[in-house]
Amino acid sequence: MSKVYFSTWRGEQINNIGKADDAWEKSAYNLPMEYNEYASSKAFIGWDGVALFDPEVDVVRLATEYAAQYQVYSEACGRCAPGRWGGRILYDLLDKIARGEGSMSDMEHLREVSKTMQETSKCEIGKTVPNPLLDLMTHFESEFVSCIENQKPSKHYHLEDISYIAKITAPCMDACPAHVDIPAYIEGVRDLRFDDSLMATRQTMPLAHTCGRVCPHPCETECRRTNLDEPISIMELKRLGADYETDHGFGFFHPAEKKPSIGKKVAVIGAGPAGLTGAYYLALEGIDVDVYEELPVLGGEVAVGVPEYRMPIDKYNQDIEAVRSLGVNFITNTKVTADMMRQFENDYDATLVATGTRISKKIYCDNERPEIQGYWGAIDFLDKVNLQVKYNIMVSEEDQKRHMLPSDFVDLSGKTLVCVGGGFTSMDVVRCAIRSNAAKVVMLYRRDEATIIKNTTYEEYHEAVEEGVEFIFHSAVAAIKDENNVLKSLIVDRFELVADPNGGRPTLEKIEGASFELECDYLIPAVSQSADLKLLPSEWEIEMTSWATIKTNGKDYMTSRRGIFAAGDCEYGPMTIVNAVGQAKRAASVISRYVQSGEITLTDDEIMEDHLRRLKVYNKKEKIKGWLPGLPRQHSEVLTVEERKDNNREVKYGFTQEEALAEAERCMRCYYIAMVAY
Amino acid sequence: MINFTINGQNVTALKGETILQAARKAGFYIPTMCYLEKTTPCASCRLCVVETDKTDGFILSCQTPPTEGLAVTIDSDALKTERTNIMRLYNVNHPLECGVCDKSGACDLQNKTLEFGISSQHFSAKEQHRTIEHWGLINYDPSLCILCEKCVHVCNEIIGDDAIELKFGGYKSSVIPKNSDTLDCTFCGECIAVCPVGALVSSNFQYSANAWELTQIPATCAHCSAGCALTYEVRHTSNTVGAIPKIYRVTNDFEHTTLCGAGRFGFDFNVNGTKDPKMFAKAVAAIQSATAIRFSSLITNEEALILQKLKEKFGFKLYNEEARAYQQFMNAYGSMCGKTGCGGTLEAIKQSDAVILLGGRISSDNPAVRYAVTTAARHRGAKVMYMHPLEDELLQNVVTQYVKYEVGTEEGVVAMLAKTLLEGCDLSNEIREFLDELDEGYLCAESNVGDEEFSRIAKSSLRAKQKTLVIGSDLLSHKRAENIARLCALIEMYTDFSIVVVAPSVNTVGVSLICELDTDIGGANIVGYNAEGDFTMGSLGNPELLLPSLNSQEGTFVSMNAQVLPTNVAVGFDGYTLNDIANALGLNAQYTIDYTPQLPRDKGFNGTPFDDLGNFYTALGEDRRGYILKNTDVEINGVLEEINDLPEFNGTVVYRCNPINQFNGYTAQTKQLEKDATLRGSTQFAAAAKIADGDKIRIEFAKGVQERVFVIDSTLKGTVALVPTYDVALGSLGEQYRFEKVKIIKMGSES
Repeated sequence: MSKVYFSTWRGEQINNIGKADDAWEKSAYNLPMEYNEYASSKAFIGWDGVALFDPEVDVVRLATEYAAQYQVYSEACGRCAPGRWGGRILYDLLDKIARGEGSMSDMEHLREVSKTMQETSKCEIGKTVPNPLLDLMTHFESEFVSCIENQKPSKHYHLEDISYIAKITAPCMDACPAHVDIPAYIEGVRDLRFDDSLMATRQTMPLAHTCGRVCPHPCETECRRTNLDEPISIMELKRLGADYETDHGFGFFHPAEKKPSIGKKVAVIGAGPAGLTGAYYLALEGIDVDVYEELPVLGGEVAVGVPEYRMPIDKYNQDIEAVRSLGVNFITNTKVTADMMRQFENDYDATLVATGTRISKKIYCDNERPEIQGYWGAIDFLDKVNLQVKYNIMVSEEDQKRHMLPSDFVDLSGKTLVCVGGGFTSMDVVRCAIRSNAAKVVMLYRRDEATIIKNTTYEEYHEAVEEGVEFIFHSAVAAIKDENNVLKSLIVDRFELVADPNGGRPTLEKIEGASFELECDYLIPAVSQSADLKLLPSEWEIEMTSWATIKTNGKDYMTSRRGIFAAGDCEYGPMTIVNAVGQAKRAASVISRYVQSGEITLTDDEIMEDHLRRLKVYNKKEKIKGWLPGLPRQHSEVLTVEERKDNNREVKYGFTQEEALAEAERCMRCYYIAMVAY
Repeated sequence: MINFTINGQNVTALKGETILQAARKAGFYIPTMCYLEKTTPCASCRLCVVETDKTDGFILSCQTPPTEGLAVTIDSDALKTERTNIMRLYNVNHPLECGVCDKSGACDLQNKTLEFGISSQHFSAKEQHRTIEHWGLINYDPSLCILCEKCVHVCNEIIGDDAIELKFGGYKSSVIPKNSDTLDCTFCGECIAVCPVGALVSSNFQYSANAWELTQIPATCAHCSAGCALTYEVRHTSNTVGAIPKIYRVTNDFEHTTLCGAGRFGFDFNVNGTKDPKMFAKAVAAIQSATAIRFSSLITNEEALILQKLKEKFGFKLYNEEARAYQQFMNAYGSMCGKTGCGGTLEAIKQSDAVILLGGRISSDNPAVRYAVTTAARHRGAKVMYMHPLEDELLQNVVTQYVKYEVGTEEGVVAMLAKTLLEGCDLSNEIREFLDELDEGYLCAESNVGDEEFSRIAKSSLRAKQKTLVIGSDLLSHKRAENIARLCALIEMYTDFSIVVVAPSVNTVGVSLICELDTDIGGANIVGYNAEGDFTMGSLGNPELLLPSLNSQEGTFVSMNAQVLPTNVAVGFDGYTLNDIANALGLNAQYTIDYTPQLPRDKGFNGTPFDDLGNFYTALGEDRRGYILKNTDVEINGVLEEINDLPEFNGTVVYRCNPINQFNGYTAQTKQLEKDATLRGSTQFAAAAKIADGDKIRIEFAKGVQERVFVIDSTLKGTVALVPTYDVALGSLGEQYRFEKVKIIKMGSES
């Protein structure tokens, strides 16, 4: 709810003109009423209408400025005749009226050009820019006419007392935690300019190979094409640019030239997606970066957690090399301690903590004791599998003994493995277990099939089933049975969903007498992970969240201690790669200014980014004009079960060029401009 | 097949076809300004909007495939209104200089402005100052540019230069060189061809003639074996009766064909002669007493047939080493698979998703092949394996695997390739045994190509649906060419690779089919026709008797696609022709083209008279040029020969390879094409040969000596330098193995 003077946002018709302040009708939307902590907004204008917060707003100037922003931002456009010339004419005519030189025929021409732009522009930016302008011309016609009739400039025309801040967005860009310029990289595919495609991705997302494969793609949930038929296969189209670079042995296509060194140093703790991203954007700004990594290999959980068949290491290494190519210094096999952190405060201008969440949480059942052989945390299990599969780093003798392995790799021949989970990590565990030749693999999950699909993906679940994983839904481990500290079996309870007679959420209730004993050799808890934050010196008293992650304000990612920043899972809790990337990108931006000015600031673009996310760009009720429905989403081919289940070949082939082009053609280029006046 | 309607009429579209394509096929007109059939849609002009029963608002027909049962309307009043407004926008501040603009009379903007009846400027915007760019052979005027993006698309998607891009800036947008201050490209000029207005123009042609004054003469390019269609545009230069007109420019049907810079800018190679009866008599006499006629493949089929007939009549020999090498290669190929010709074509390359380029420097040898590969790489995502001793920077953005082999080891490489690709095929015992007995260790070691490189080739082509193996001319002139040919034949017979052989010269294929060629052993009384001899005639070098050049002749060529292609007289020739000489020697034909129907049927020619041969593409792009040779059966009697020692090339080695847009004595004399005559090599080569950038050097070949300047080319690596052949008036690529170990002496340093 926002207090507005006037609003046509998303079709609402709120007009409080002339009403007493307490009689004002409120807007139903989270409009950016406060631009930042220092300034209140006067107006918000965008693709879907206009909202005025202040009766004093000069609407003629506002309209002119919005048209001007379309000119400024036309680097995103300039690609079609109606947008290119129409946009210029809109601005020229509005400016002519605003400076007191307009005529009534200019109003007519404005309406005519607007119509042509709305009907025929290439992307939504050209189609929607006229929308709020027409709203203003309709609802505040007298102000325009007054400028024309009196041949006088509008009231603020010669004043520079108001800032006009604009931002380009799109529903998918808004939904993406890394705010990747998705329409641009898809346009690169459509135009067969794969270098441009990759550079568009890398503006905010250095891990193009990775997020072209293992991103849960929240963007696709807010893809506007969904309103018409099915969402664009946004994620997979990202691979084309990355593959082009790799296949042809080009160097790395960076989004901008690396700036010369500014003589500042930043330490990054952790070489996972957040650490790599932070390092990449800091390095681009000319900052020297040292990345400290506990493991012998780079890449964090994507390297040692995500299996080879989903994320081939040679592709991930390409992403990592892109970061290294900017001169980032990696220091592996180094677990950062509190003492080191204290030293870093002197040695570096800032520190970014990006250590992720690498402690497998307990499942909280009876007799759950880590010393029982066969009880094996998911993170460590996947470490052992992936280090061998991807890097040929074998399991140490000590660990072989600890985990009852017959040789120096994870060989589960003849063994039964039970995993408790339901998220991506547990899927990785069971599918790796199949590939480690386990005799039987069982997944226990508290809730139902639909929920596991929602929490992972349809493909992931079905591929696991095809490969022979047995899923037992509505189940949980009640107790572990061991013999001399060797796992023997599990007591598993069954549950059922009981509807709340009062209409509340249904609850899971144990079915008495349905419990059973499940013999097994391994129990892998994969319910969730927590952060290991022993590296933070206790005397710093860094503030924590209630779920034991590092607390920041979620905007600038500085911790309660000045100069110490945190991004990724150690800040948010176990979340997605793209979330880590988005946070680290923002943190790097803030750090790059902090190391020079000592100030914590956000750019206007970042402020607007956050405002728009709060407002939400995607409107699932919108009816789509100008696109033909019924063109199916493309699906890339996958290996058959027989081809994949006993090896680590990548399961998905990725799009053929033909599929990619057909898919890219479906993208509607839903760019929008939003602008705040304050 | 998708059924839908346009304006109520039933129309069908194939899978992947757009509404616009289906409409055009069905004869409907939807206006466009930016659409180019051979590229992905630019989608910038928005004129092609249509309405449907399933959509709210207009949709773009150029990028939307129809759905089953869709009812499309292409010409409602609402559409006309918006299209008219778009045209009004196009005309905002468009300079009113049609009076001097090159494009006037053939301008899409002019045409559409008239079509939509835009008689005055309806909208206005602030005028902006723009400067004209001069990019060598190409000028760009941004104020005339309508930013349709056709040039950008064609440069990236078809040519592969990717040398221009759009500088975004809304109203201020313009086309700029990509990653460079000035245009750095291979100057194919295709951007000029596709430009719908006068923004991109030929700097040489600019302001020299109006479109409507030029006469268009359809012909076939006379520079390489691709046989590209082109149009010579000629105009009178004087009002004198009988004055010979001049070629002003070359254009192409850019919707369906593509032309390289040599074809487009290298047109002024015609000569003129006079009828000098004394010299004519001398020529006749020389042939009568000749032991041999030596000739080049810059010749029509008809003239080749005349030479063959004269040979039969007088018993002299016919020398053409380059065509003979090709002939032997193809004979050996046929002896394995029983066919005279290979299965692949340029069109097949474009459709391929795996292409192996083996033994040639495609980007300069045959740009049409390069464009086809670029098309495949961009549009099909083709895996492109480039196998050659020298890396080629121009191919980097299409090649996905570069396989470098040692000079001379081609036979071993082909054998290993055959073995790799034939893995798992159902082979005869004999062939299986041959492949099994290959000394892999030796072949890999000598060629310096590892096992894993061959496996990667196999892996890359595994999922491909259409595959092409392109054989370059290094293999044709190789000492072991015949065994190589037999191995190539195996690949085509047993795998789904089709083969394209890049014939080295314009009509190598035709000559090899028409003439019985003899081994050139030299001798006395040799008549040279565009070749060295004791008596010389032709249009190259300084022949004693001038005969018409290939743009002053009518006749046919056979392209590398096995297509018989007609060419026509662009500018007349006043002297004698070979046919006149033949008539004097007892043959009897009024015109040279009287021989067209007599071309040998047993080689696949079909007897069509010249005047019945088409020479155009239909509006929908169907090729109606000449005809395709019948691929006839030949006897299978080939035997694979054991592979003995692979040769080694140590020391200073040069590779006969022309610079981009240079091919032969014709291109060498044209005004616009760059004439780089230097020996180009890497710094490594310079160090090995003990020469420096800019040194004047003498190159001692096994046959002959050349003096050149050495230049370091930073795009080259390794110890092989590139030596041109085009500037050696009567030389041609492919007469001998293209690599040669030579002696290089810095001039002035000899003691």
